[in-house]
Amino acid sequence: MAPRLLVSNLSKSFPGVRALDDVSMSVEPGEIRALLGENGAGKSTLGKIVAGVYQRSQGSVHLDGVELGAFDEKVAGDLGIGIVHQEGSLVPQLSVAENIFAGRQPAGWLGQVDVRLMREKARALISQLGVRIDPAAKVVLLSPAQTQIVEIAKALSRDLKLLILDEPTAALTLTETERLFEIVRRLADDGVSIIYVSHRLAEIFALCHSVTVLKDGRLAGTRQVADTTTDELIRLMVGRDVHLTRAATVRKPGAIVLEAHDISAPPLVRSASVTVRSGEIVCLAGLIGSGRSEFCEAIFGARRRYGGSIRLDGRAIDPHGPWDAKRAGIGLVPEDRKNSGLFLGMDLVNNIAATVLSKVSSGVNFSESKAEALANRFVGDLRIATPSVRKLVGDLSGGNQQKVLLAKWLAMEPRLLIVDEPTRGVDVGARSEIYRLLRELADRGVALLVVSSDLPEVLALADRIVVMAEGRTVGELGGEHATEEEVLRLATRFTSSVVERRKKVVGA
Amino acid sequence: MSVAETSDTVSETANEAQPEPRDAMPLRIVRRLANSRELTLFILVVLLALAMTIAYPHNFPTGPNLRAVLLNLATVGILVCGMMLLMIAGTFDLSVGSTLALSGVWAGVVAGWWGWPAEAAILIGIAVGALAGLVNGLIVTRIGINALIATLGTLTIYRSLTYVTAGTGVTPISDAFAEYGRAADPILRLQSPFWAMLVLVLVGGWLVARTRFFRQFYFVGGNPRAAQLSGIRVDRLVLIGFVIMGALAGLAGVLGAARLNSAVVNAGVGIELKVITATVLGGASLKGGEGTILGGILGVLFIALIENAMIINAVGVFWQGLVVGLVLLFAVSLDRFKTSGRG
Repeated sequence: MAPRLLVSNLSKSFPGVRALDDVSMSVEPGEIRALLGENGAGKSTLGKIVAGVYQRSQGSVHLDGVELGAFDEKVAGDLGIGIVHQEGSLVPQLSVAENIFAGRQPAGWLGQVDVRLMREKARALISQLGVRIDPAAKVVLLSPAQTQIVEIAKALSRDLKLLILDEPTAALTLTETERLFEIVRRLADDGVSIIYVSHRLAEIFALCHSVTVLKDGRLAGTRQVADTTTDELIRLMVGRDVHLTRAATVRKPGAIVLEAHDISAPPLVRSASVTVRSGEIVCLAGLIGSGRSEFCEAIFGARRRYGGSIRLDGRAIDPHGPWDAKRAGIGLVPEDRKNSGLFLGMDLVNNIAATVLSKVSSGVNFSESKAEALANRFVGDLRIATPSVRKLVGDLSGGNQQKVLLAKWLAMEPRLLIVDEPTRGVDVGARSEIYRLLRELADRGVALLVVSSDLPEVLALADRIVVMAEGRTVGELGGEHATEEEVLRLATRFTSSVVERRKKVVGA
Repeated sequence: MSVAETSDTVSETANEAQPEPRDAMPLRIVRRLANSRELTLFILVVLLALAMTIAYPHNFPTGPNLRAVLLNLATVGILVCGMMLLMIAGTFDLSVGSTLALSGVWAGVVAGWWGWPAEAAILIGIAVGALAGLVNGLIVTRIGINALIATLGTLTIYRSLTYVTAGTGVTPISDAFAEYGRAADPILRLQSPFWAMLVLVLVGGWLVARTRFFRQFYFVGGNPRAAQLSGIRVDRLVLIGFVIMGALAGLAGVLGAARLNSAVVNAGVGIELKVITATVLGGASLKGGEGTILGGILGVLFIALIENAMIINAVGVFWQGLVVGLVLLFAVSLDRFKTSGRG
């Protein structure tokens, strides 16, 4: 008998990126297959191609032995392939029933929607999942788990053969996750094949039958869950050449600059602590959603902090807003440069001056000439490629925008600079220049706290690595001899212990 | 003629400052004009004034007519200073007309009914305006209601409070109070509202263009989240902007009441749209981050001249809205030609 799903030699290119490269796999009816990989390994891309969201560049897809030509999400749905997206695809202001039957509402003889019939059908679908949600309720009022269940019900509203779940537990609590697992198992028992996209190892061991690991868009291996170990999977996920090298010289870190202890900023930061010394680069590593950015925002006063203490240069501070942190000497280069970092409609001069208005003023007057001189200095120092400091920042390339963003914070000469994802969306050349810049800053005695999801980057930059998982700092490694395996083991170990606790709770 | 020469030199310096790739001649002129709203408006105002001088030599360039034009634009001119500040910060206030009436009526009540000194009445009137602005600002920043909805609500609330306070108004108020609105300088014989506006435009223009405190409003409008993360106290600035707007509306209301020696409950009905029209014409954008007080006041001047032309021409008030609306749409569509525009 033919497998439920067979993909062979699948490739997918986006402009400038090869997201998937020659990947093959097959899934049997009733099998729960995990798709595992680091951020950007191509697991979501594979799921979306099978669901018809993306078109493949090369390769073939067979469903129950029948080859599929070019197909979109609607065709895939008619064939029985459903997908539950990472970021919901529901319309919040509409009811559960309307969302489930979006575009296919049962109609009466005048073409009017038969609301009663639609709600009954929706109720039947949802109760089939063993839960009760009012089909007339608006989606906006549901909890994340209920939303997720509605998404599954939406997929189930057609005759389902294959269900793709893309990081479904990201927003769920433990009990909700357990309930979702129950539903997935029941579906599998009914013969539906499941593709479960995740980077949470613990969940894979708790739920799946088999696992396919992707790495940099290529197939790294397929294993039966019963025959593999966490260590083997981590090795498959990261086993690649490290292409970034550490700086040869070793810095001598000085006095402690930042001491953040037991910070909590629920729901994403539970208990996180970190110390950073002068002239030291500390990297915060961890999986997406582990609360690293939120921890930094709490230190910077940009996120409401409910507990914990912050000391800067030994003095206790309590920043109620970024202005307080800035006055104390903390800078934060945010992750999302377009929305939170830069003034895209303003020129370089104004962008760089934004944090240091008092410095580029004479008396109460803003001095255009001082601001321009400052901008010119940074254009030179950071080698920002721009025809003029009066150019709008929105017209620059990603790498140059990132440098302007750094310049904006370097201008205030921070004691502690927090950099969230320093090289996101930046090409290789600019990347190495940004590393050089961060190292120079540390050489000058600035304390640096760098958040990065890119493990090679962490290993290349860090003097020390602090690992976060589920809102807690769970371990620390010396930067010099750390390996990607060690970091990932710390980042995932905590989740696996959660699963064990979860099992106990459910078992009891 | 000297005016035309000035505008020539201005355009030449602008040319030197920007060695951008050259386009065809007509497009280049459009770009130049699109990039400096103040310059465009200034040229338009001058051309319009010249045209009117030539077309109506006996009606337009006369003392009484010019005095009437300048006095009539004083109220909108004062309000534009505050509205421009708010729009630079990416927000606006629809309740200015009601605030103006409420302030005028309170000044009238204090001076006319209670018999307090005129100075106290003026201060109380301005304070009532500032308080109304403070309430607007608190609703927008603390409760987080969109400025359109928030000030639409307070527009009716403040108007209603005006009626509740004074019924049909306070007439007459008091001679001492009226003197503050009627006093005129001996040479040009322009009354005080105009001079108040002129001082506000000059001082406000300097503050907004030059000082680092007001520079922060451009960052707030340019990208509020980035401004917040740059250590700029976004909410506090917006609140201050609303208080300034309210105080200016209060001042306009007090001066208006003094000039007429009568606090009218219907004062300033519909003036918010006129103010916003002039502000947008003067270079503000609804997205925020752009605009100057100078541009705003040129916008006011331009609209005042068009209205004056209509009156002299006896075309009738019915056509005024049509012309002002067309000019506004034309000015805003110029933005599409900005050299460095996005998207």
